Amino acid sequence: MAMMEISDVWKRFRIPHERRSTVLEHVAGFLSILEGKRYDYEEFWALRQTSFRLEHGESLGIIGPNGSGKSTLLKLIARIMMPDKGRIEITGHIAPVLELGIGFHPELTVRENSMIYGVIVGVPRSEMKKRTLSILDFAGLTRFQDARLKTLSSGMAVRLAFSIAIQTEADIFLIDEALSVGDMEFQEKCLNRFREFKKEEKSIVLVSHNMEQVKSFCEKTLYLVNGETRFFGRSEEATRQYASDVSRPIGTSQPA
Amino acid sequence: MDGKYGHYLDVIIILAQKDFKIRYRNSVLGFLWSLLNPLAFMAILTVVFSLLLRVDVPNFAAWVLIGLLVWRFFAVGTGQGLFSIIGNPSLVSKVYVPRHIIVLSNNVANLVGATLEFVVLLPLLVFLGVDLSLYVLYLPVILIMEFLLVFGLSLSLSSLSLRYRDFYQVWDIALQLGFFLSPIVYDAKLVPQRFQFLYSLNPVTCLIESTRAIFLQQQFPSLFNGAVVVASVAIFLLLGSMIFRRLEKRFAEEL
Repeated sequence: MAMMEISDVWKRFRIPHERRSTVLEHVAGFLSILEGKRYDYEEFWALRQTSFRLEHGESLGIIGPNGSGKSTLLKLIARIMMPDKGRIEITGHIAPVLELGIGFHPELTVRENSMIYGVIVGVPRSEMKKRTLSILDFAGLTRFQDARLKTLSSGMAVRLAFSIAIQTEADIFLIDEALSVGDMEFQEKCLNRFREFKKEEKSIVLVSHNMEQVKSFCEKTLYLVNGETRFFGRSEEATRQYASDVSRPIGTSQPA
Repeated sequence: MDGKYGHYLDVIIILAQKDFKIRYRNSVLGFLWSLLNPLAFMAILTVVFSLLLRVDVPNFAAWVLIGLLVWRFFAVGTGQGLFSIIGNPSLVSKVYVPRHIIVLSNNVANLVGATLEFVVLLPLLVFLGVDLSLYVLYLPVILIMEFLLVFGLSLSLSSLSLRYRDFYQVWDIALQLGFFLSPIVYDAKLVPQRFQFLYSLNPVTCLIESTRAIFLQQQFPSLFNGAVVVASVAIFLLLGSMIFRRLEKRFAEEL
């Protein structure tokens, strides 16, 4: 049974030459079009022709240099962004993308933010009321429960987000380099949890620059360069190809 | 499917609570401010209009307070609804929540605020000499209709203001104009005859007159007012969801 099927997905971003984001600028811009100036923007394809298929219980690694479309793909899978072309079909419940800078309101307390985040990622409100303390405990943040969210360090914030996200009954977990910020102890906790997910036949989609993590958790890996699929298939193969591309960058089109 | 809607309901409640908390957190008086604001304004208007300008409206203080409360719900509701997407970047670009739910929760927080204002100020109306009758029970219907109007407008405003960053300035001016195009500080009868019909198509006018009807005249809102409100709610909800649907595809990129 296919758990995730991505068929010919394209995603385009527009970079306007002169950024026009106010009503007044649009009025001015409209007048200059009447004078014969053209309003133009550059198109930039963040993803082209991406296709792959994951079976039930398989995990996916996404690797490649910065700016190659990895995070864009995660956001498409999470439904945060819409593809311009192509189809994304997923069976199962998706946990939110775990990435840096998560958190809802810097002025509310850690506990209030946990409530909000937990409910949004799919834990019922009544459940969340009972579980908040144990979540804060797992995150090692019990002491900070009444502190405002803005006082937490970025590592602590990710720890909190992660601790809440694993409470959901999701089948698919999306992780965007978030692991690298937690300290060693917390990383170890997370990796253990991932191993449990694997045993429960849950899937992880992991964007990472850590090839060892990718190889140990993901059966399949997608290797992207400038939005194009350089390789999709077994993780050993994908990471080997990435490593060999990086070691001889001359003659390839990828940025260093 | 049931689980999904239960989840959405939970999300609406938690986000509305959040908006409510944020609005009242950073002030000592909290909710009291939202009562003091219309009360102070009522006092000022009563002094200016019934004592200085001698406007001929019976029980001017109660009359103007009702107009102000209805107007506040509209102005504050749309004004904050406008910011509901821009003001919540993490809800849009970090997690997936159906985006209209973000706008809806913001409006729900406002509905609760407006309802509380009415409930708390009810005794004041009695004190000002208003005879409350059973027609007051019609108030929830008016509030719900106004809420739907605010929601429809907020859908358009929130998505347009993401596209055009100074859109709130435009809406701010529109609200200033709207204040004087609605019968808040003057009687609608003062509008010249030839503008009467156009004037009466303003849904806020109809909401204000309906509310005054149930409180001050002990009667049902007029059929005409009811029809205008229902029609404009339908139009703004439709228009709002069309604009919103079109623009929401690029929300995460434009934030």
